[in-house]
Amino acid sequence: MNRILHILLLGACLALASCARQESRTLTFSSEDDLAGLRVATVAGCCYDLSLSKRNDIELLLYSFDADVLQALLNGKADVMVHDETILNSELRAEHGIKIAFKGKERFPTALVFRKDEAAIIDTLNAIQERMIQDGRMDSLKHYWLDEVYLQKKDYTHIPEEASGEPLRVACVTNMAPLSFMVGTEWYGIEVDLARELARALHRKIEFKLYDSASGMMSLKTGMADVMLGGIFITPERQEEYLFANPYHAYGSAYYVIDHDGQAAKGSFWKSLKKSLESNLLKEDRWKYITNGLWETIKITLLSILLGGILGVGLCAMTRSRRKWLRVTAWFYNWLMAGIPMLVLLLILFYVVFAKSGLDPTLVAVIAFSLNFASGASDVYGTSLDAIPRGQTEGGLALGFTRLKTFCYIVLPQALKRGIPLFQSQCVSLLKGTSIVGYIAILDLTRAGDMIRSRTFDAFVPLLMVTVIYFVLAWLLGMLVKLATPKTRVL
Amino acid sequence: MITVNHLSKKYINPDGSVLTVLKDINCTIEKGEVISIIGPSGTGKSTLLRALNLLDPPTGGEILFQGENILAKGYPVHKLRQKMGMVFQSFNLFDHMTVLENVMFSPVKILGKSKEEAREAAMTLLRKVGVADKADVYPSSLSGGQKQRVAIARCLAMNPEVILFDEPTSALDPTMVGEVLSVMRQLAKEGMTMLIVTHEMKFARDVSTRVFFMYDGYIHEDGTPEQIFCHPKHSATKAFSQRIRMEVFEVDQDDFDFLGMDTRINQFCIKYNIADKKDKTQQLCQALMPVFLETGHPLTIRLTYSELSGETSLDFMMEGAQASPLQDNAAGFEKAKSLCEKVVEEPTARGYRVRLLL
Repeated sequence: MNRILHILLLGACLALASCARQESRTLTFSSEDDLAGLRVATVAGCCYDLSLSKRNDIELLLYSFDADVLQALLNGKADVMVHDETILNSELRAEHGIKIAFKGKERFPTALVFRKDEAAIIDTLNAIQERMIQDGRMDSLKHYWLDEVYLQKKDYTHIPEEASGEPLRVACVTNMAPLSFMVGTEWYGIEVDLARELARALHRKIEFKLYDSASGMMSLKTGMADVMLGGIFITPERQEEYLFANPYHAYGSAYYVIDHDGQAAKGSFWKSLKKSLESNLLKEDRWKYITNGLWETIKITLLSILLGGILGVGLCAMTRSRRKWLRVTAWFYNWLMAGIPMLVLLLILFYVVFAKSGLDPTLVAVIAFSLNFASGASDVYGTSLDAIPRGQTEGGLALGFTRLKTFCYIVLPQALKRGIPLFQSQCVSLLKGTSIVGYIAILDLTRAGDMIRSRTFDAFVPLLMVTVIYFVLAWLLGMLVKLATPKTRVL
Repeated sequence: MITVNHLSKKYINPDGSVLTVLKDINCTIEKGEVISIIGPSGTGKSTLLRALNLLDPPTGGEILFQGENILAKGYPVHKLRQKMGMVFQSFNLFDHMTVLENVMFSPVKILGKSKEEAREAAMTLLRKVGVADKADVYPSSLSGGQKQRVAIARCLAMNPEVILFDEPTSALDPTMVGEVLSVMRQLAKEGMTMLIVTHEMKFARDVSTRVFFMYDGYIHEDGTPEQIFCHPKHSATKAFSQRIRMEVFEVDQDDFDFLGMDTRINQFCIKYNIADKKDKTQQLCQALMPVFLETGHPLTIRLTYSELSGETSLDFMMEGAQASPLQDNAAGFEKAKSLCEKVVEEPTARGYRVRLLL
């Protein structure tokens, strides 16, 4: 009975949702003035919202992901969305059934970003850009990338790289075709090409690292990267903190609405799912993001469990030590780990403690999660050992076993049996906790989903895929822990 | 076999105060002896037993086992325990092993016996204690009595020279006490050296070759069962073996709480189910106390009740007095005589005692 009720409710919700979409008005626009009284969706902190937020005759809806903004438009939560005029290219517009209503008046000069003490490199880049403008190469570069020529030619141009020299480390913001984007493991885009020109002029190798805009800025500041790119608009605020090269282009915004006349992706549910899977997984080998991310997630999780599990043994021994200072130290450590949000610990280790060491981000993540896991593991060990009555130890001692043998033969097997379920759940929560490593530029499973989302503007399918994979991983991890547990039979 | 000299055990509480559980223990235990250790709760019986196999190491004195000082530095404690088995109040069977594994585990791991040999021996022992049919189940499905018998078999599997029993029947349902005691009786008959902390007085009396009566951290009295149970030398031993309960009033100060005394007598009588003696006791106290106090000697009044014989008595002890004031007080004497069954007047080491049997 209950189940039938649920199905009915679900059906009603779906029906309402589809009605809402059909109801959305057909609107005609020609400029920003026509927005009065409408709901406008955009990405928070992207510059387009600066002028819009000053208007009080519109309802501004802010989202943190490009795909979510588009979803708001498609669901009818917003009447119009503001986004970059180049990134949502004609292919994507057709795929999602949207069109450009009009283009914004404002232009935003954009350039590559450097640290304040890198004036010499900037001069080199400015000189290169100047030369390219004069010999017409800049125009052809812009034509290729910004006029969507690259969409027809599937072999994206590629400026040759130096094989040696001190690497020029480039922090790239997540996929922003055609400014900077990744296919497989290779980077492309107009800004990427500019960075390659720069590296060649400097006779340096080039090294790309993936960041989001906040962590990219941070890595630039802490010296983990030399250049940052990915459609960074020049604003007075940013100029106080960083140096910008001369702008190579000024981008404009565009206002998008649903295209009711276009060939929007309609059809059966299965057909659209198939299409969605195709664009999210097969196109440009995007499934490789998922497999690479999966491997990264597994690596971090397993290494952290191993390392943290071993550290936890030491920590547990300390909490049960006879020496007071050891107990106090362990208590303090546990208190610290319980109090620090995992993300903060990760960021502190990456941007402060190991900032100058050039340690691989994956290694930093393993260290951070091991430190945290040690505390949880020590707790699990302690709880399991405490659950074994004192009498079991006394029984062993009284028969003539040494303290060590009593522990190994009698206490440990029983404690293991009790502790495994607790340990399993610790491991699974560690696995899920690793989804934040994207903040320190690791392409893990979650970040892989985000990357695909930001390319395809598909809100659900990548998220759903990632969720399913996490589910399977958690289940496998539980099994693995059980299998890896030493046998409790001692005779 | 075991010689204990000036053994003591102190605990230091978290607040820094010192609790002395064993004060000065001296005894010798010969091979083949069955010794019951009896005494009121909290007098150090279990602590003494646990001190002998160093589960609770003593803080002073010495213990010689087969001539060796086991408290010497570097003495292999686990070797000692292999020869000195222990049976616990709470059984302490290993919960992760079957009954059979519990019994054969230590012979295999410690004595290096082969599994087949150990299994044979274990089955023989399980048959002996009557739980062979439970060999392959886990301890959690056994009754308390069965668990304790398995624990005894596990202990015997190590072929110990002596077995320490720490209240082996205290955690058992009364219906199961018998089965465990009969196993122990059998062991005693076979000549096993045993030290038994127990509250089973009848068992202690029947089975033991010697009884230690422990009181206040000392072995207060050490003798044959006959001596301890029938002719105890010390009053504490008698009080314990006769199960004597008492309430003591020291009436040597001016500010003694007379009203509180009435309440305490009342509570005592209710507690031990002798309410019919309450009025008599209160009347006697009221009538006789002024007479005794007039003499100027410090007065101690003791109300005692033996749970074994049902005897209730009221003692008036005058410290340092030589004669009974009742001789000079005919009215008081008559009153006392009329209310109680018997009046006994006698001089003692402390002073002069008037005992009224109620």
